[in-house]
Amino acid sequence: MGVSSADVQRLFLQAILSRRILSQKLAAKIWEKCIDAVKEANETVDIEYRADRNSWDNFVTSVNEALNPLDLEFAHLHDEVSGKEMYAVVNRKGDEIAQLATEYTATEIAYFKAVLEQIMLAPNESFCVSAMACLREVNSLKTNMTKSQAETTLSSFVARGWLLKSKLGRYSLSTRTVLELQIYLRNTYEGELLDCTICMELVTRGIACYTNQCKTRMHTHCFNNFKRRHHQCPSCSQSWTEANLAKLRPVGEPAYREGQDLNQRRARRKSTGDDDEDEEDEEERDYENGDDAEPEPSQSQPAATQQKSKGKRKAAREASEEAEEQEESPPPQTQTQRRRSSRR
Amino acid sequence: MARQATRSQRQPQASQSQPPRGTQGGRSRRSRANDEDEDEEMASGHEGGEQEEIAAEKVQAELDRKARDLVRLALFHEQRRTALKRDEISKKVLGSNSRSFNAVFAAANGILRNTFGMELVELHSTTPDKDISEKDAEMLKAAGAKKKATATGTKNYILRSLLDAALIEKASAPDAEIRELEQSEHPDANEEFAEDDNKVGTRSIGSIFAWHHADQLASVGILYVILALILVEGRVISDNDLRAILKRLQLPANAPIPLSSQTTTQSQTIDAHLAQLTRQGFLEKARVGNGARKGTKRGRGGAGAANDDGTLAAYEWRWGPRALAEVGERAVAQFVAEFMAARPGEDDADEDAVGASQEEGVQKRVQIVFRGIERAASGAPLADVR
Repeated sequence: MGVSSADVQRLFLQAILSRRILSQKLAAKIWEKCIDAVKEANETVDIEYRADRNSWDNFVTSVNEALNPLDLEFAHLHDEVSGKEMYAVVNRKGDEIAQLATEYTATEIAYFKAVLEQIMLAPNESFCVSAMACLREVNSLKTNMTKSQAETTLSSFVARGWLLKSKLGRYSLSTRTVLELQIYLRNTYEGELLDCTICMELVTRGIACYTNQCKTRMHTHCFNNFKRRHHQCPSCSQSWTEANLAKLRPVGEPAYREGQDLNQRRARRKSTGDDDEDEEDEEERDYENGDDAEPEPSQSQPAATQQKSKGKRKAAREASEEAEEQEESPPPQTQTQRRRSSRR
Repeated sequence: MARQATRSQRQPQASQSQPPRGTQGGRSRRSRANDEDEDEEMASGHEGGEQEEIAAEKVQAELDRKARDLVRLALFHEQRRTALKRDEISKKVLGSNSRSFNAVFAAANGILRNTFGMELVELHSTTPDKDISEKDAEMLKAAGAKKKATATGTKNYILRSLLDAALIEKASAPDAEIRELEQSEHPDANEEFAEDDNKVGTRSIGSIFAWHHADQLASVGILYVILALILVEGRVISDNDLRAILKRLQLPANAPIPLSSQTTTQSQTIDAHLAQLTRQGFLEKARVGNGARKGTKRGRGGAGAANDDGTLAAYEWRWGPRALAEVGERAVAQFVAEFMAARPGEDDADEDAVGASQEEGVQKRVQIVFRGIERAASGAPLADVR
């Protein structure tokens, strides 16, 4: 098979598959290098790399024309931390075949989902969970997982870009997870999700308007653009002038309060019917207590939920069982020789 | 150019593929429909053919869908680095209609070729057709296998790159610009995030393919060394010899293999690694001597030790089907030859002065070593990937 200009796209796709997620800048650089490589291999190939955005978008379109029939997409999203545009090949269909899209075992996926749940349901819109709380999640699994195995698994999630681990040891959602598991997250945590008022994408770190009940949430990078030209909240028109900016509430790790996840375990049933609404309301009230009635001592929260913690725990177990049964697009992949060999 | 070629290839494949789905009737119906079409065009009437055309289209659509499913399955499955079994394809993709396998397989390979420059290939059992050794022949008989010289397919499939070797080489070469971008984007470079204490597999050379990210490189390195050892020992090495050599390379049975944080395995010893490689089909472990008859547990590796009936069994290692299909004997021989021919420290010597002649010398040494390996491998000439 001789080298032809069509090989640029094939080489590019293979390179992307070997990386999983990467910035637009790096992706464009790799595209350029793919063109160089093809031209070196076959001097008669006549293609020119163009650095402008238009050419890049056209290239992405052509990649997607090839991928879309396969229910795959070369999708992009702004990284919530850096604001950089990130690209990844994403599976858009949660069929039986997609369940194989992982090198993780069923137990590890169940664990991932349990951790994900703690992150999504973390109080104070903090969208992060402490390492302690993560390790506690092994108790919610149907199968046994030791704490040290859980630690290894967690670092694997981080190394493969499914979770982020902060300097303070807290885990939060990565861009890869938001990008690849968006459908799963939206279906499972419909009531808990926050959308950016500016770009309409999911927010797990950024800012919130300080007005009670105001629904304005923004990514940090969206907010930075916004505040250059506007000085009031787009929803409630509350003044956002310099002096008031400090009042804006954080979303994400800065909203984390020490000990918020130490004694309680949050879980909810998959919202399949109306009967879940009560629980949802409860959650919301929890948030409001924490957020708005500022001085409430953080200890009171665990106490309040402790009474129902038994019932919740049960619900959690059910939820995770349910989740396991109807796996959407299961995440991560890794080599799991040990476990697999022991299963055989 | 190539794209055009493969694309036009795809069409005939697709139409060929209808019969299995619609069974025999489908074919004649379809060809009849075609004929009728032509007739009708001439007769300027087109009522009868329409329905059958729709039926044919449905069959075609079904086939296309299954082909796409197979592509997805192959891509996803490859992440596990184990071969895809035909049973699994039947179950997950073909459903009730397993007879359409060939058609779906061909169509899927068309998509893989066109879009990704990859192909699904069937693994062949390890013994070359020509010289099935007596022992193996005996084994085959014992296992009740029909004596079909060519039927060495294992019904196991792997995904393989079809890109030109020159292109792959370029895509694996270090590149400073890519490396720089990668480094600046690495999470460890961001102050907000915790650094990973385990540095294994995080170093990038900036090649187009991110091998360090996609594979456990230390494991692959050890695999290639083992493959090389087996090859130069005459394509088979006794367990004892292999262990002894590995020990000399500071890799005793319980030595831990450095793994990157991506894995969920806490640590892996050489022993566990060998078992895994056997399971993945890179290596084959067989019992020699008395236990040979019942001892060949292909693809099950360590399990053989369990039915040890007291006598200390001896084992030997060969290349597994996956190594033959993915790496190839020639490539490993070339790898060894280049390694042996390069003399450490020579690079530093004033290159300009003797550069050309030195290059020549290296080439010559590579060839000599390569031929030496061919002799050492004894028997059939070194095989390319197959």
